[in-house]
Amino acid sequence: MKLKFVERLHGVSPHITMDRSTKEIMQDVVIALTPAFLGSIYFFGINALILVLTAVTTCVLSEYVWQKIRREKLTVGDWSAVVTGMLLAFNVPATTPIWAVMVASVFAIIVVKQFFGGIGSNFANPALMGRALLLFLWPSTISGYVTTYHAGTDAISSATVLGLYKSGAQITEYSKWDMFIGNIPGCLGETSKLLLLIGFAYLCYRRVVNMAAAGAYILTVLLVTFIFSNEGLFQGDILTNLLSGGLILGACYMMTDYASVAPRVKVTLAVIAGLVTAGIRLWGKLPEGVSYGILVANCLSGLVDSIIKPHIYGVNVRKNKV
Amino acid sequence: MKKYFHGGIHPSDGSDKILSNQVPIRMYTPQSVEISMKQSPNGFCNAVVKVGDNVSKGDLIGIPRGFGAANIHASIGGTVTDIIKTKDNQGREFETVVIRSEENENAAKDLPDKEYEKKIVDITSFSRDEIIKKMDEGGLIGMGGAGFPTHIKYETKDEINYILINGAECEPYLTCDHMLMKEHGYAIINGVHLFIKAANAKKAYICIEDNKQDVAHELKKIISDKELPIEILILPTRYPQGGERQLTEAVLRKEVPAGSLPSAVGTIINNVGTAKALADIVLGGEPVISRVVTVTGKVKNPCNYLVPIGTRYSELIQESGGFTAEICRVIEGGPMTGNCIMIGKEPEKIMGSVAKNTSGLLVLEDFEKTESPCIRCGECERVCPAGLAPYKIDFAEIEGDINLCEKLYATECISCGSCSYVCPAKRELAYRITKAKNEIFRIRRERSGK
Repeated sequence: MKLKFVERLHGVSPHITMDRSTKEIMQDVVIALTPAFLGSIYFFGINALILVLTAVTTCVLSEYVWQKIRREKLTVGDWSAVVTGMLLAFNVPATTPIWAVMVASVFAIIVVKQFFGGIGSNFANPALMGRALLLFLWPSTISGYVTTYHAGTDAISSATVLGLYKSGAQITEYSKWDMFIGNIPGCLGETSKLLLLIGFAYLCYRRVVNMAAAGAYILTVLLVTFIFSNEGLFQGDILTNLLSGGLILGACYMMTDYASVAPRVKVTLAVIAGLVTAGIRLWGKLPEGVSYGILVANCLSGLVDSIIKPHIYGVNVRKNKV
Repeated sequence: MKKYFHGGIHPSDGSDKILSNQVPIRMYTPQSVEISMKQSPNGFCNAVVKVGDNVSKGDLIGIPRGFGAANIHASIGGTVTDIIKTKDNQGREFETVVIRSEENENAAKDLPDKEYEKKIVDITSFSRDEIIKKMDEGGLIGMGGAGFPTHIKYETKDEINYILINGAECEPYLTCDHMLMKEHGYAIINGVHLFIKAANAKKAYICIEDNKQDVAHELKKIISDKELPIEILILPTRYPQGGERQLTEAVLRKEVPAGSLPSAVGTIINNVGTAKALADIVLGGEPVISRVVTVTGKVKNPCNYLVPIGTRYSELIQESGGFTAEICRVIEGGPMTGNCIMIGKEPEKIMGSVAKNTSGLLVLEDFEKTESPCIRCGECERVCPAGLAPYKIDFAEIEGDINLCEKLYATECISCGSCSYVCPAKRELAYRITKAKNEIFRIRRERSGK
């Protein structure tokens, strides 16, 4: 850990700093995710609460235990593990077994985050990698989508709206308004677009994230799925694509992630992620492509960052008078 | 159209400046001064006086040891009581001349009426070479902080079209340029007029940030209906507006090529304090022996003082009523780029004295600095006025990979400190990048020397 904590510098300039720390940023993200968290309890019941709490506790504990064993400086206090835990739980359906969430959390924190050097050094979004692990090893654990409590009947298993749309079925069961407020089957945190957007507005207001990357991602996905839809060219259903899956969750909270998406080229990477996501939605086997789209962008982050050169003041500038 | 440069930050809400810009500039003349023979970061002089010599105010006491320095004059009349040899933090030796005056100058002194403080004077009698020669003799250096000898800037062979006068004063807390413009508007305009003459330029822009609208309007009033090639520009408040490269970009929409001076794009940048000092030299016949210093922060009476060069910092703090915080951090210059010269409780222990480029003496409450790992939020990259990626250079520097630092253009860093300011992990990015930059320059010098 030589790289992370070096000598203590006390008297070096600047002597004033901005009133914001890593911890405050992470707390802001937790605050932004809280409406969607409460919404998930409302829509999916006590299961949602149990899963989110399990994921958060497991993430925090595994980071703590790992750093204790390795005798590293403890960074558990910065709340980043809480964010990972919440996002991870948001990405699984309500019927997921508790053990699966715990395995995914341990994998996310220890393998994806700590193996690569802890906070700020993870190459991909830990929560999405946790979900990807479950999807590979135990696909059945996270494919049991159920209807919400408020869809009229008791919770029964059901395909997601995006799955229905992909199979070409007419979507009559759910109105666009249901999709927007979250009254549809889906993963815990992704269903209520309204609550996610409220949280995102808070993050933008606090200047924790920039809207550009999220906007570029959503626009790319919508544009591509609109042009090349299964119903024919320029026939795609924009609102269903926007509101039914995890597009808003991914755009607002994962595409804007700090470490795994190089800051300067966030918009370019968002467009790449959008193309991959739209490609999977249109031509892939899976109905949903948000998590893979973003993981692809995460993996390309370093490459794109080194290909697109920044403009340095005064470098490659011709000498001519004003 | 608003004029912007790339990057930059808003480090404060303006409350810090109000501390010291409400009261007029006070005069303070100490009984004895300590004049350092190192008036700017890289300018060294040799003392030409001996212990016991009698000097009067304005006598030459130091001549440049090499490029980058300017003449030094006695700022008060009296006897040379001591010459102290000291070393700076890079181990370079220089002398400090101590002068003690016999009579109490503070009491019996009526300021003579200076014509150039009251109206625009005719300067047609001065030739270009004459003005530049007077700059050299009068020991004029950049009063904004960098302390580069002004006459060297003007001896350029490049054709100069525009002069930019930096009245931006973008550093928080400092108000010395603001007060100077408020109280010595005519002297500054006369000085700027001399600069135009010295560079044979077409026009001069006096650049003032919009948090100092009052003085901008005052200066506009002074130059209105007089046919002077001077224009007052009001720029949006933003740090580091006062950096010469940033000012060129904001005003002339032109980047200064890496490794060259702004004269390469046909412009010279001077501080308003330098303009006032030039008027004093050429029109008042007095070399650079005094300057305005802001003493502010955690002191009882924050204020701007007009002091002779060489006034001890400890005396200035005592004159302002002493510390008001328990443990204080005393900073020479502004809060963003200034050097910390003491952390402690007793103002008597502060070393050092006012130099020609000292713009302020700032006292802040001491605080703990702890670094945490970078979270790659990219804020440093967004605010960097040079367009660098500070977090990458930071990693490279810690790893000791100086070649990578060079590839990431660490040499183009202007050490403004914006990156460290915004960093949520509180990393000392500016410090390490500056360290890497100096190391690269040292290696380059060694290579070219062999």
